[in-house]
Amino acid sequence: MQYYKKIPITKDQIVPTAERMRKDGVILAMIHGYLTEDGKPNISYEYQLGETIESYTIEGENELPSIAYIYSKAAEWPEREINELIGVTFTGLDVSKRLFLPESMLSGQGQIFVTPMEELIKNTQKH
Amino acid sequence: MGYIVPIGPYHPSLEEPIHARLYTEGELIKDAEIFIGYNHRGIEKLAMQKNIIQTLVLVERVCGICSHSHAMTFAMAVENAGGIKPTKKGEYMRVITAELERLHSHYLWLGIALHIIGHDSLFMHSWDDREAIMDILEDLTGNRVNYGMVTIGGARRDISAEQAHRTLEMLDKIEESNKVLCDFLLNDKTVALRTQGVGVLTTEEAIELGAIGPHARASNVPIDVRIDAPYSSYDDFDFKKCVWPSGDVFARVVVRVLENFESIKIIRQALDSMPSGPINKGNSIPVVKPGEYMNMHEAPRGQLSYKVVTNGTDKVQRVSIHVPTFKNAPTIPTMLRGNSVADAGLIIASIDPCFSCMDR
Repeated sequence: MQYYKKIPITKDQIVPTAERMRKDGVILAMIHGYLTEDGKPNISYEYQLGETIESYTIEGENELPSIAYIYSKAAEWPEREINELIGVTFTGLDVSKRLFLPESMLSGQGQIFVTPMEELIKNTQKH
Repeated sequence: MGYIVPIGPYHPSLEEPIHARLYTEGELIKDAEIFIGYNHRGIEKLAMQKNIIQTLVLVERVCGICSHSHAMTFAMAVENAGGIKPTKKGEYMRVITAELERLHSHYLWLGIALHIIGHDSLFMHSWDDREAIMDILEDLTGNRVNYGMVTIGGARRDISAEQAHRTLEMLDKIEESNKVLCDFLLNDKTVALRTQGVGVLTTEEAIELGAIGPHARASNVPIDVRIDAPYSSYDDFDFKKCVWPSGDVFARVVVRVLENFESIKIIRQALDSMPSGPINKGNSIPVVKPGEYMNMHEAPRGQLSYKVVTNGTDKVQRVSIHVPTFKNAPTIPTMLRGNSVADAGLIIASIDPCFSCMDR
């Protein structure tokens, strides 16, 4: 059986949690991000501990510390993706190039999830 | 003198669209970078406009090979978020389809790898076996890809006694053929020369970079979600993790051939102990209570994860899809270093990448 456990944390707890998990050999399954209905970013660090996914969640913060130096590429790519999708910045993360959205899209600046669908369609027609 | 050799995003020896930049000295790759994002379709954004059943159909189109894995994982996440328990028979049908999908995916990859190696007779042998699996998938679901087998609360199609019989017959044939393939791959000189010691990813590197699935198991990392965190009805079946210690392209070939035997075992057990009862809980568009859940599934290429946020309507507020290639692709530069340019295509293909899946 797979279990899912949501654990709210603060910004200061992100790095110590990642360091503890890495030391214990826990797999970082993924970092997910979405915007709540009132527009706040919700970022969750999903660690796989046996049958349970422990989801360390932080809400309403637009700037978070990067854990790419702890979890290498397993954290770097998800952080870059979240930056591209919803615009949350990760301190210490190199985002000088886009990961998977075209550089030309929304002048390389806009985030697909915070841009209205109509504007995205207009933008697609331009290219 | 060093050169920068660009490969892709469209290149005859590459399985999928990726751009690799090789920094070389003569034939030797000193370093490499990879660039992705050539097939972004905005599926997650589009899913926010659709109802749950439409999203189920949409996510099945993320990938043409592991389409069922996407639908199954999305359905599990929605069911868990909304407290819906699928029927037992429906879960068995999901697992049968998932394992048939794994078989055809592994045979597909083996064929491509053997073609890149230059062993075209063995490539045709493995794709011939794959056709038999595709025929059974078509028999059971009506489609060769995008099977439409999953619905919220179970599966869409039951299996008749005749279909079960035809499936078991096909498994007998495939098992015998896989034994020949396995013996050949383990002992053939051509395969050994092109794969052994090529594109090595050590156990430490695999753990450090977060590799998953058969790619990690070929580097002696024993992870498999079906066993580590069982879901659906995988708990009911007896099978084992396949690992290989050498971490090279050869190990990735061997792990997949061995996994074919395990998939055959699972399907046989599922068909032998198929529960009675309904296949699903009806076909209406579900309204799922607010919640969030993340589910993982061991797709053919590794761990597939879906995070779903529901808001009490017939839509999902957010579907976040992360495919195995998202975790395995960052290992490519490490594997390329110290190898020759001629092996680059094979090494990139050895993770069984699906960059279209990854770009979504």
